[in-house]
Amino acid sequence: MFRLLLQELRFRRGAIIGWGLGLCFFPVVYVGLYPSFADQMENFYKILDLPIYKALGISMASFEGYMASTVTNLVPVIMAIYAVINGTGTLAGEEDSGRLETIVTLPIPRWQIVAVKAIALGMALVLIVSIAAAGAALTLLTILDQVETNVTVVDVFLALLSAWPLVMAFGMISLFLGAFSPSRRIAGTVATVVVIASYLGSNLTGMIDSLKSIENLFLFHFYEATAESLVQGQKLGNMLILLGVALAALGLAVLFFQRRNITVGVWPWQRGRIPEGERSA
Amino acid sequence: MTDHAVETHGLSVYYGRHRGILNVDLRVEQGEVFGFLGPNGAGKTTTQRVLVDIIRPTAGEARIFGLDCQKDGVTARDRVGYLPGELAMYESMRVRRFFRMYASLRKSNRDSEHWQALSDRLELDTSRRIGQLSRGNKQKVGVVTAFMSKPDLLILDEPTTGLDPLVQQTVMDLVREANQAGATVFFSSHILPEVQAVCDRVGIIREGQLVATERVEDLMTQHLKRVRLSFAAEPPTDAFRRDGVEITARDGQSLTLEIRQDLDQVMAEAASYGITDIETIHVSLEEIFLAYYGKGNGGSLV
Repeated sequence: MFRLLLQELRFRRGAIIGWGLGLCFFPVVYVGLYPSFADQMENFYKILDLPIYKALGISMASFEGYMASTVTNLVPVIMAIYAVINGTGTLAGEEDSGRLETIVTLPIPRWQIVAVKAIALGMALVLIVSIAAAGAALTLLTILDQVETNVTVVDVFLALLSAWPLVMAFGMISLFLGAFSPSRRIAGTVATVVVIASYLGSNLTGMIDSLKSIENLFLFHFYEATAESLVQGQKLGNMLILLGVALAALGLAVLFFQRRNITVGVWPWQRGRIPEGERSA
Repeated sequence: MTDHAVETHGLSVYYGRHRGILNVDLRVEQGEVFGFLGPNGAGKTTTQRVLVDIIRPTAGEARIFGLDCQKDGVTARDRVGYLPGELAMYESMRVRRFFRMYASLRKSNRDSEHWQALSDRLELDTSRRIGQLSRGNKQKVGVVTAFMSKPDLLILDEPTTGLDPLVQQTVMDLVREANQAGATVFFSSHILPEVQAVCDRVGIIREGQLVATERVEDLMTQHLKRVRLSFAAEPPTDAFRRDGVEITARDGQSLTLEIRQDLDQVMAEAASYGITDIETIHVSLEEIFLAYYGKGNGGSLV
């Protein structure tokens, strides 16, 4: 099992480095350039305080708000896209390409294959988030003497790192969809819709009181990208809920992968049945 | 159900409404080389995929060395080397890394470096990335992967596909040597001469159903005979017009017949025309196979 895990991590090595450094670009640009236009932000904040921006979680009235809106708000969205790509690619993608057949025929239980791939995906996600968080923290360190803020380097690092339960939940949902649906294309489409609906739904329910009752349906609701959360951190209860969702999705992935006919590409309810007339053939 | 390398009972697989295989009862003895014949879509690959638990049966059961392929699949697969028909691997990996990874993932790998000897024998460059290999070389990677753990049972889905004739011969030699070392080999093929050359028995599957399981020599001697008969005088034009007999050549006082049934009656009829010579012509397994699947032949060998 350990060897398989090592191998899975090896396969993801390039993606971890690429996505990690790519995501660093975000805080480097947004945070690094802040001192050069900090004065002008005060003039914009009234415009940027419009409901539509609130709906997108954007509030730039302060440096903390700016950081939350540009970095801790958007990086998890991009990470969720990676989670969808990698989560659906892990089982469904490998099945589509035929590579899964090579692994499944080894003397390894199917639940172990899913578990190892889920652990590898989880580790890849935490490493990517860590690289992006380190990039954000180092960028803040370079401009800390040029901005007025009570946000520390550690705060920024932890704020981004705490997005991991959210992206892990999306990763495991994608993994489950890969084990459940006939092809990666379908799994990827559904998972992308889930991410987008969750992001927009979470923001809209925060803005429209009549939608409050359904806010718990959207995973982004359990992740706060606000100026306050930058300093105070995410609520433990919310993080546990997200990890619970990830665990439940992993459980479903194992369940459906155990029953899956690899290489066939059908929905679970399309399992074959022998027609009455042929039973005694 | 413990003495057979492979045993299926009432094995059926349906893909939705589409039939994969139906009521396949198959026994492969330990230590034999068993060839699995059938046209594309007949159910060969489906049967093999059930054995390695890629596909779950709709009905019936499949066992390897007495172990249920699904419930005891991990233990069963530890004794199996499998070569899929459509091979897909990690394109960015170097061949030797792939072999080392694959060897490390088996519980009872008996010779962790056996892949090296196999690669040398097949003249496979293991320093190259899999994605850079030709189709034939990728097939060699698959062959090595199947043989590298010296398994008790080799399940090979068209093992020589894409290989040049010399390498095909080497693969067949590997099959023979594995078999001589005690391994059971269960392989499907479209190349009938190689089946004829190495197999003890063959199973013929048609439209998802196993229609024959016979020893190769029995199949070849019992089910299709080709004879050239010479007569003192030209036999009448309506001679040998009967079911199961086909006149494939007529040359004056000689006739070439393909006989599938009632050999004694055909000989009796021939005797009535005054036979002067009988010559038995060799019939290859391929010709038997084609006769079996040929136009309008709905007969069964069983």
